[in-house]
Amino acid sequence: MAPGALTRERDIREAYTAHAAELYGFAVRSLGDSGLAEEAVQETFLRAWRAGDRFDPQIGSLRTWLFAILRNVVIDLSRARAARPGVAEGGIEPSVEPFDEALLAWQIEEAMRRIGEQHRRILVETYYRGRPYAEVAEELGIPEGTVKSRVYYGLRALRVVLEEMGYED
Amino acid sequence: MKTERCREWREALGAYALGHLPDEERVGLEAHLEGCPDCQAEADSLLAIAERLPHADPARFGPAPAPPPELGRRIAATIGAEKRSRRRHRRLRLGLGLSGATAVAAAAVLAIFVLTGNETGGPEQRVAFRSLPAGVAIAATPEPRAFGTEIHMYVAGIRSGTLCRVYMRGPGRTGASAGSFRYRWGGDDSAVLSAALDLSRAKALVVHAGNRTFVAPLGSAAAAFIDQPQEEEPT
Repeated sequence: MAPGALTRERDIREAYTAHAAELYGFAVRSLGDSGLAEEAVQETFLRAWRAGDRFDPQIGSLRTWLFAILRNVVIDLSRARAARPGVAEGGIEPSVEPFDEALLAWQIEEAMRRIGEQHRRILVETYYRGRPYAEVAEELGIPEGTVKSRVYYGLRALRVVLEEMGYED
Repeated sequence: MKTERCREWREALGAYALGHLPDEERVGLEAHLEGCPDCQAEADSLLAIAERLPHADPARFGPAPAPPPELGRRIAATIGAEKRSRRRHRRLRLGLGLSGATAVAAAAVLAIFVLTGNETGGPEQRVAFRSLPAGVAIAATPEPRAFGTEIHMYVAGIRSGTLCRVYMRGPGRTGASAGSFRYRWGGDDSAVLSAALDLSRAKALVVHAGNRTFVAPLGSAAAAFIDQPQEEEPT
């Protein structure tokens, strides 16, 4: 068993504290249903608990490992749901994106939530809404050059947050 | 190497990475990048970030939904149940009484998760009771056995000494007692019970703890019961 394996209930509790919010948020996005997302997160931690002795932090981060488990759980759930139509009625329309595409999207969305409002706003206005820098500058009451530098610092902030979140491994 | 020129160009790198730089400015910047590995490396790194932006949906930049607070407790309870049933030293093998379960009126709102995704009578169903009073956790793992069903129960957070009676409800008004156990602090908060009812025929798992009744629908019935308030009818 590798040092750092998840063998105690406390290890799972700590893993939950550190990663449950993110796994749940992603599961909601991916499954489009909060009840199914709870189910998926619960099953993820149960499988992690059962396979805890196989977790090796030398190989990959805990986050990566948990997301890999969640991936299998989501696939299982989607299959079960496909075989049982009508179970997940109501709520948000389930996303049809495959898991990996949803994960790519989630990573950026989560990073956007974590950077400052000023940085997020400037990236939304200039990039996602495609508005001219001059127009954004006028609306925000700042020089155009400041819009440009905020775009730069916004992207840097995004990069820092993505690295912190361990998305690179 | 950082120079005055770098400082001049650095803050344009964001707009450059997003493809927003006007042509003449872009040409000037690219000329600088040619001769400046530092700025080129920074540009490459920001381009890699920019490439990922189209995947995201800006409508989803708001706060992400948070997991309900009881989710952690439920997981801890289920793991606790599994752990204790693994190192089981006390086995309760109780009655096969196929009587109509004496039911108590209850209006608990319960929901259930059948996690393994099987329809009915799969190898194992783990059920967890939701919408329990704060601090109370009940988890159960019914498993099919030759004699009927073995149920690993785990209870936490109720008054010590509380008698917990467990029933399985079958089709119609049939039911099977799975026995009972007394909840005590520490160590004794879980039990392995057995019922004569086949798991594939079971519609619900019923736990009477003190004067409260908790119902967990099983199998295909579980889907229909999700989040629906239930009234127990006396039989």
